[in-house]
Amino acid sequence: MAEISFKREIESLKLSDGDTFRGEGIIAVTKALLQSGVSYVGGYQGAPVGHLLDVLVEAKEEMQRLGVHVEPCMNEAAAAAMLGASVNYPIRGAVTWKSIVGTNVAADALSNLASPGVKGGALIIVGEDYGEGASVVQERTHAFALKSSIWLMDPRPELANIVRMVEKGFELSEASSTPVMLELRIRACHMFGSFETRANRAAPQSTAHRIPEPAPFEYMRLAHPPVTFIQETDKFKRRLPAAQDFIIEHELNETRGPQDGDIGIIVQGGLFNALNSRLHAAGLSDVFGDVALPVLVLNVTHPLAPRQIEQFCLGKKAVLIVEEGQPDYLEQAIGQILRKADLQTRIFGKDVLPMGGEYTQRVLGQGLAAFLRVNGRDCGALDSWLAAVAEHEENVRGMLAAPMPARPPGLCTGCPERPVFSAMKILKSEIGPTHVAADIGCHALATFAPFDQGNSILGYGMSLASAAAVSNTQARKPVSIMGDGGFWHNGLLTGVAGSVFNRNDGVLVIMNNGYSSATGAQDLPSSAPTSEGRGAGVDIEKTLRGMGVKAISRVRTYDIGRMIKTLREAILTPAKGLRVIIADGECQLARQRRIRPEIAKAVAAGERVVRTRFWVDPEICTGDHSCIRLSGCPSLTLKANEDPLRKDPVAHVNNDCVGCGVCGDVSHAAQLCPSFAQIDIVQNPKWFDRFREQWETKLIRFLSGDGKP
Amino acid sequence: MSEPIRILISALGGEGGGVLASWLTDAALADGYAAQRTSVPGVAQRTGSTTYYVEMLRADGRAPVLSLAPTAGEVDLFIATELLEAGRLIQAGFVTPDRTTIIAPLRRVYAITEKIAMSDGRADSDLIMNAAKCFSKAHHIGDFGALADAANAQLNAVIFGLACRALALSPEACRTAIKLDGRAVEANLRGFEAGLAFDDEEKAPPETTAFEPAPAIFGAMIDALPQEARFNVRAGVERLVDFQGADHARLYLDRLERFALQREADGPFISELARCLAVRMSSEDVVRVAQLKLREARLARVRAEARARQGDIVRVIEFLKPGPNEILSILPAPLARGLLWFVRFAGLERAAIPMRVHTTGLWGFLQLSALASMRRIRPMSLRAAQEKAWIEDWLNLIEQALHKDPAAASEIVETAQLVRGYGDTWERGHANWRRIADEIIEPMLTGGQNEAHFADAVLQARLAAVADPDGNRLDAMIASLKQVADPVTA
Repeated sequence: MAEISFKREIESLKLSDGDTFRGEGIIAVTKALLQSGVSYVGGYQGAPVGHLLDVLVEAKEEMQRLGVHVEPCMNEAAAAAMLGASVNYPIRGAVTWKSIVGTNVAADALSNLASPGVKGGALIIVGEDYGEGASVVQERTHAFALKSSIWLMDPRPELANIVRMVEKGFELSEASSTPVMLELRIRACHMFGSFETRANRAAPQSTAHRIPEPAPFEYMRLAHPPVTFIQETDKFKRRLPAAQDFIIEHELNETRGPQDGDIGIIVQGGLFNALNSRLHAAGLSDVFGDVALPVLVLNVTHPLAPRQIEQFCLGKKAVLIVEEGQPDYLEQAIGQILRKADLQTRIFGKDVLPMGGEYTQRVLGQGLAAFLRVNGRDCGALDSWLAAVAEHEENVRGMLAAPMPARPPGLCTGCPERPVFSAMKILKSEIGPTHVAADIGCHALATFAPFDQGNSILGYGMSLASAAAVSNTQARKPVSIMGDGGFWHNGLLTGVAGSVFNRNDGVLVIMNNGYSSATGAQDLPSSAPTSEGRGAGVDIEKTLRGMGVKAISRVRTYDIGRMIKTLREAILTPAKGLRVIIADGECQLARQRRIRPEIAKAVAAGERVVRTRFWVDPEICTGDHSCIRLSGCPSLTLKANEDPLRKDPVAHVNNDCVGCGVCGDVSHAAQLCPSFAQIDIVQNPKWFDRFREQWETKLIRFLSGDGKP
Repeated sequence: MSEPIRILISALGGEGGGVLASWLTDAALADGYAAQRTSVPGVAQRTGSTTYYVEMLRADGRAPVLSLAPTAGEVDLFIATELLEAGRLIQAGFVTPDRTTIIAPLRRVYAITEKIAMSDGRADSDLIMNAAKCFSKAHHIGDFGALADAANAQLNAVIFGLACRALALSPEACRTAIKLDGRAVEANLRGFEAGLAFDDEEKAPPETTAFEPAPAIFGAMIDALPQEARFNVRAGVERLVDFQGADHARLYLDRLERFALQREADGPFISELARCLAVRMSSEDVVRVAQLKLREARLARVRAEARARQGDIVRVIEFLKPGPNEILSILPAPLARGLLWFVRFAGLERAAIPMRVHTTGLWGFLQLSALASMRRIRPMSLRAAQEKAWIEDWLNLIEQALHKDPAAASEIVETAQLVRGYGDTWERGHANWRRIADEIIEPMLTGGQNEAHFADAVLQARLAAVADPDGNRLDAMIASLKQVADPVTA
């Protein structure tokens, strides 16, 4: 079960001809897939495209009606390989994942998909996780499109346009026998807007209408020599020109503004709105995008159609290329087109705009102003805006000189992974540091304060593999951290099998929290089977034993004392081989979502319910905050000291506390201080609770002489 | 209309910033605007910063091209659900005096770097508030958290009410948006109305700390001390009578008097000394801990904080794990020394008994009462002797410095804050203080080092000691000081 319920989104997926869709970009894309008559959809969860799959998984009925096969794949390679159905059969399919990392994982299958090409339209929706809020390495998906001859769309962020590009993307894919990637930036995926819908189209061949006969044997459908040489030629001889013709014929790219003008701008579709806002500031556009100088909006950034570029640049002395990220692929390509056509239009791009980083409006404004100035244009309003922003920045710096504290994401309140890191930190002070191979997932947040640990992150599920050489070149065994998500994504084979096969030493901690939590609590093979979820209850321990791992310990994460002991033994033991610690503890977000309504119902029904939370005695806390340095729980926070004689704020547990008990156990395990108390609130107490309470209170009062010690 | 209205919302994950943005969009649409909303919502974890951005425009049916990201200097309404978030985006330049209205609550959700500081690492809220007032066109800053609590609603609903007014949206459109959303409609409407009716002029009454008067017998001694110091002295006397008894308080006043007679000791100096000395003279040994845990008022406080309802039974279970040092040091000094020697001999220094004591239960009460009753023999205990020796050392250093450099004496007073806590924290504090005393204060007093920076050196050393738990900063600080004092041998 995914993190949120998509009831309303599912309704919007059922809209028919002439209805108005209102919702987020990524759901609009999902609707567009259904309007395009897809037969199958797959992918791997991850922001900002994860909702595409989540919503389809939940929309079981509509998928059945349309005959769409929906598959949350084990990783992006599996998702890309799934497009293999469109290699042989004229059925449309779409897959989705977070890029660049997901595309990297998918690379093998993508190359082998692109080489034979496709019969049915194949669309890959990638969340381009670049710029502000990105959580992955900063690289461009563009490189994959170039090297594998996959077409790349970067639609102007308006829902109607995005939807059109999805629909045209399938047609382009079929017209040129080539898979198409559609990249959406984070904000475009989360953009709320509207468009006029069309009815969903059931595919002629689907789960409802199965293909009666398999495709005949045809070597040209295999990415295997000798035909790979023919396929390579086909890419540039037939598919490329077909795509370029399609792009021009169907006007996938938009030419806006006046026909003539001595300067113009070529922009990635995804950046048009930001560019328009700055042109508006410069007095060269308005809020409706009526630009006063020619602008070529590239909804398709690969391939470029040389005819279109030449035509646009003809008669212009200069064009500005607005292209986010590096290397400057578009600038290079356009430069070559102009050179070959012997056009003398001067290209501006990464000289007036920065090579890397997000193109915020300020960055764009600076580049645009420089471009206009060099070309003798007045950009008065833009310049004065930039000057005002810079002046304001100085004024602010005058008052707020020191940077404000940063606020990185951290593990949630009551997270079951926190006590593992608390245990590691306590153990570190006891036995000294160990090499820690970190991984992708919630547990990567332990790289931030207060844990500040982890020597490497090499990819999702890669921690154990990344420690292979370390374990053989270092005196002390390294510890690798992996989530159950990473384990099934990749870690099982690249890590565990590799370690067993090569007889490596090392400690692997698997965070078994039951979901792919960081991406929104999607189910995994090891998730518990429930009526609504997709969990298959595959046992990680049995899986490991089946692979020949002998030293396996299971520890409930909240048992910090045992966790410390288990880790200490695993690290210090002279015994050889891989030792796995399965750290069991259900994702607290998912758990709370599950149990909160149940508890509320029980309390309302008058049942006896004990609610537990923790508390710091403000009189006993001395304000040293050691406990926070070993926990970092959001609900363990600070409060001004009420004692007039003491200044430092004391620790304080707020009412978000879910009573996991880690703060108390940490204070025990690290022998910190006696200010922690567990508070049990017995709601709807029964007669025996009241009896005990009354008598104990009476006795205590009697013994203490009117209650005063 | 040629320019959209631009709204930037900054929230923390899980705080309902997305819901607020969605209400605003829906209300704007209902009011006839074209509206676009987008976000960088962060990851699933509920702690990091998230931002939402809304543009709305009277477009007369045409499709506008609206921005997906906020622009410095072009934000009309900036909403923060937490004060530091407001500060961070003010610093990033999104709030400008020519156009930005700012809505921010006074509440703080502390960032991890603020929380893990060994003393007080909190960002300066007053500074952020001043910046908010200084750099905005209009500001609505108030205790909206309390407003929400009073309305039994969520903060985002209250803020929606404030935003409705700031944007001149029709309240009816906003109410419809809440109903359309369908979640917790009643509570959200209550919150919305509370925000809508919020009056910036209303001021919360200033908080006052009530104090019971110090025992009358000390009246004359307290009145003999400087006026500025009396608040702290009274609080100190109060605390020490409670801690040990009237004799202990008298010793406190005698010690203060010794300084008050000195010419160099002014009011603020005595006040600060009175504060630090009172805290040190009531050091948190296991007897004190037991005493505090037995207070009856504590249970009422726990009930209130835990939001226990009428009829609920509240049980308190203490987490205690005193080490041998903490337990044995409350015994009479010679006995304690002998037993501690044995503990070290047997290698049991790290041994400790983890205990979960039910304070609200009879057995737990008896255990704690037994500990608290040790109060009577405490003056003879090893711990008391250790504390006394430390306090005398500290006071002597202050006295010597007072004649030489009063500013340095004030800084030495403050070093008492380093010595506190339990177990490792207490030992680390003592060790750090001893290093500062031996390697900085003593040499400066005897004139061996550069005395011009005496006060500053003590201050820097104290800050360095709380910069990191491993003492790295203090090591570096002392090394650099030696380098300056004696570049040849150091």
